[in-house]
Amino acid sequence: MQALPSIAFGGFSGSAKGVTARQVAGRTILSVRAWPTGATTNAQVARRASMSKISKSWKLLTNEQMQEWDRLAEHTSGQSAFGQKAELSGMNLYIRLNVNRAMAGESLLSSAPDSTAACPNLIYEQVAITPEMVVIAGIKHESSPYKLVLKMSASQSAGISNGWGKTVIITPGMEDDWGEADVTKLYFKTIGVEPVVGEKVFIEAYWLDTSTGFAGQPIQEYAFVTGDSPYQRRVKATMDNLDPNEESHVSSLDVDFSTGAPVAEFNAMCLGHSNVASSEVYLDQQLPADVIGTGVCLGRGNGADGKIIPQSYLVYIRNYGGKAEMTFAHRGGYYVIPTECFGSGIIY
Amino acid sequence: MFNSTGNNFGAGQITFKDYQAENYVVLNSKFTFDPTNADYQACDQLEIYVPDLTIDRSAVGGVFIRFVEDYHYSWGDSVYDGGTVLKSWIKDKNTIVIEKQPWFDENGPLIIYIVTLYPQLNQGGNTIKSTMQRLTMTTEGNYLRFDYETFMCEFEHWVFIHLKFSGVTYAYREALWEVTMEQLPADITADVPICGGGNQMHPNCDGMAEAHIENKVLTSQRRVMGFFDTAHDPFVYAFLVRD
Repeated sequence: MQALPSIAFGGFSGSAKGVTARQVAGRTILSVRAWPTGATTNAQVARRASMSKISKSWKLLTNEQMQEWDRLAEHTSGQSAFGQKAELSGMNLYIRLNVNRAMAGESLLSSAPDSTAACPNLIYEQVAITPEMVVIAGIKHESSPYKLVLKMSASQSAGISNGWGKTVIITPGMEDDWGEADVTKLYFKTIGVEPVVGEKVFIEAYWLDTSTGFAGQPIQEYAFVTGDSPYQRRVKATMDNLDPNEESHVSSLDVDFSTGAPVAEFNAMCLGHSNVASSEVYLDQQLPADVIGTGVCLGRGNGADGKIIPQSYLVYIRNYGGKAEMTFAHRGGYYVIPTECFGSGIIY
Repeated sequence: MFNSTGNNFGAGQITFKDYQAENYVVLNSKFTFDPTNADYQACDQLEIYVPDLTIDRSAVGGVFIRFVEDYHYSWGDSVYDGGTVLKSWIKDKNTIVIEKQPWFDENGPLIIYIVTLYPQLNQGGNTIKSTMQRLTMTTEGNYLRFDYETFMCEFEHWVFIHLKFSGVTYAYREALWEVTMEQLPADITADVPICGGGNQMHPNCDGMAEAHIENKVLTSQRRVMGFFDTAHDPFVYAFLVRD
């Protein structure tokens, strides 16, 4: 039997049986040794490499810059599990904010940011997770420089009540797409397996101010994986929806019918074909009957020849054989290809 | 109707005619700016500051940019006005953005026409389909003719028009055109750009003329020489606010 001083009370430091006590600014911090719960992800490797690089770069700052960071640190609270404010050094803060910025693809911030304004809290309406869809919906939009950081776990047994330690970064900083964060592809790419119906997915999410590196208060949530979801994706036609068995004549496509107004939003780079003044788009599924009709939109030449000729297009939208077709048919202006069709246009 | 509170590209006060719904706005305006001014040269995108709009951001709509150019020859004058369409969107409740492109910086002063519907996305419902109505375009003696795709979609507060010119009687090619748009509501007054027409001096953008619409009558006097060049198909595309 080992005779050890108790580390459960103040004034001690050291480790025993995987529990470590340390003294920080007069407080006793107890921590249980953490063990990795899964294989290291590429994002984790990149983050650790980034942290190491950022730590080393501290020494390259001027004295004035270090003092700026120290001053900012005095006004900034660190996280504490015990409700007490933890003290942060200038270097800690420098590393913490720059790691956040690096994660979001921003460059190193040498000078301390002027603003310490609090990040907004993430407000959203629902999380929808099925084996085919991972979406956070009804997000209250925050404009640039805020970006959404989202961490999620693989689906866990329904009996697990605390699985946030198993979350990994799904996106290090994305903008919501009109209140929707559809991270289905990112989730599958990062986690590698579909969530299992009946299990829980643990979620941590917060806004990151990419200009300063300050992060907002994270929300911690879990969602059960369901077979179907009442959440309906909005009606769009994108390159992801193209029928792989047909030849479409666009290099980009994003037609959005979710306006709830008398227009659709058209975006398509039309390449033309067969010496006719139109571009065909073949989708792999039907479109809802209420968006079948004829649209009208503007276009502008976009070729290497420098032609920027304005044009108008009719867009014939129809379902055929269980799939949908869209034809961008040139009407007004001089026809050139490629032409970028864009903007709001009515459908009749 | 409202006035801008400022802008970042050196234009004066800009007046808008507007219809603002809960989830989209229709704006009409015409204004001029000088691309040689320092504010314009310093900005990354054109921003117009306005009083609170009903929406705090929008998807992209199209606005038109036009320059005016005359050549004086021994045998007479020629018009080589041109322009194109630019992307525009509402950035926040108080800012309308127009993309900045350098294409016509040497051709100032430049005219912007906003005849645009700015929608929002993910609004909980699909596009509301319109009813298309063909427009009967009447001129005395039928000297001006339009293609089949000349129509409007009429709403309580605004109208969308798509006009496609197809031909003119030779004797009227340089005359003042006056066309009655039989089905168009009488409560629309606007200057609209007519895109297209061959432009020998500016083949990259083609011609751009201007028409005035008032009390169901479209008038147009100034046009590029190649207005009816084969395949250059002049057209009007405009969302117009009713009075």
